[in-house]
Amino acid sequence: MLFDTYFAIQSFPDILKGVPMTLLIAVVAMLLGLINGLVLTLCRIYKVPVLKELVVVYISFIRGTPLLVQIYVIYYSLPLLFTILSREMGWDLSANNIPPLAYALTAFTINTTAYMAETIRAAFRSVEAGQMEAAYSVGLTTVQSLRRIIIPQAMVVALPNLANMFLGLIKGTSLAYSIMVVEILAQAKLAAADGYRYLEAYVDAAIIYWILCLFFERLFSYLEKRVKQFKGEITPV
Amino acid sequence: MNNIFDAGYIFQALPIIAAVLPGTLFILTASLLFGSLLGLLLTIVKLKAQPLFSAMAGVYISFMRGTPTLVQLFLVYYGLPKLLELAGININDWDKVIFAVITFSLHTAAFLAEVMRSAYLAVDRGQREAAYSVGMGGVQAFTRIILPQAFVIALPNLGNTVIAFLKETSLAFTIGVVDIMGQTQLLSTRGYGVRQLEVFIAVSLLYWAICLMIEKSISLLENHYKKGYREIAG
Repeated sequence: MLFDTYFAIQSFPDILKGVPMTLLIAVVAMLLGLINGLVLTLCRIYKVPVLKELVVVYISFIRGTPLLVQIYVIYYSLPLLFTILSREMGWDLSANNIPPLAYALTAFTINTTAYMAETIRAAFRSVEAGQMEAAYSVGLTTVQSLRRIIIPQAMVVALPNLANMFLGLIKGTSLAYSIMVVEILAQAKLAAADGYRYLEAYVDAAIIYWILCLFFERLFSYLEKRVKQFKGEITPV
Repeated sequence: MNNIFDAGYIFQALPIIAAVLPGTLFILTASLLFGSLLGLLLTIVKLKAQPLFSAMAGVYISFMRGTPTLVQLFLVYYGLPKLLELAGININDWDKVIFAVITFSLHTAAFLAEVMRSAYLAVDRGQREAAYSVGMGGVQAFTRIILPQAFVIALPNLGNTVIAFLKETSLAFTIGVVDIMGQTQLLSTRGYGVRQLEVFIAVSLLYWAICLMIEKSISLLENHYKKGYREIAG
């Protein structure tokens, strides 16, 4: 049989079970990446010596190598790190106890941090320096002006990029199957192996990813409209 | 420390991995070539064709951008033989590289189509009108006025697409293609569980170097083509 529609429909719910894992990885990586990315960007903006140069190399390396390679590097280096720590510090850490999810979260966070730092930096640069001066002149502190004046404006600029990054992450999580994390693609592989029907299972997976992406695309474009209120047009809309 | 991580091994592994670099570069250039032809077609259909065809192109682009490349690779790898079997063509003995090139061409076409479309639309309408007003025909106006400007606008995005795509070629090993990632996998399993980190660090250095080279050439191109462009206060 060319395409077993019945099998495709029947295994759809099984493959759907991978969605929470996919979203978990994407959301955690996104949030941790946002915090780390902000720290890296502040290092660059405030020109912290040494750290500033390290950040540049880090971003270039992460953006210049495939995510898959990064996943493998983490997968093979974390156990090493644990072994060294156990030996040097006398800690009782066993590399065998690291769950696959921990590798995945580490790798995806490290990856997202670099892209996030670039996005945040571009967004900050798009806000005029005069905005900060104006905020100071009405008596706001640095933290206040960042929070109330700069970040809302930077957010408008950053949001389309954040949306792209999140969609990229959802698709990127499909690589986690290579280190035995059971997300959508791994579920599809399991289902396929059941009846040796690979095409049907992958069609299911493709549909699920597509729907997820379309959903988040909508969500982000709604958010974009909401945050636009912070952006004054030349003529009031 | 020395027995669990051997930095010297990275440099032993590098030449072995770099030996299959032509494979990666072949996949890269062949897919970009076919991808840009198909992308051009998609752009024309999306901008000029009947609403039905234009909507179909839109769905195609949405699918390609909304699903992981890895899934697309599996779809082509498992789906294409079945599809062609219907037509009585047996492709089971095809080289796996062909499946990779087909998938990546279909994939990059969608991304390149978006780059081309946005660059085309970014050229000011008045440019075409001005070209007509000095007596140029439609084709002349396009090749001499619109295309050069659109190309300059497209360059940064084009560079990003090529770099993103180079990194995606690393997925081809999942169907058994021996590109630099495939070679790395072979090398890593050959070591019986040791020196795996070193091998992957070696391949990451290789990818990084190629990316930096592509980045550099794009920025050289950008500077070269900027000469025809004047700022408002130029």
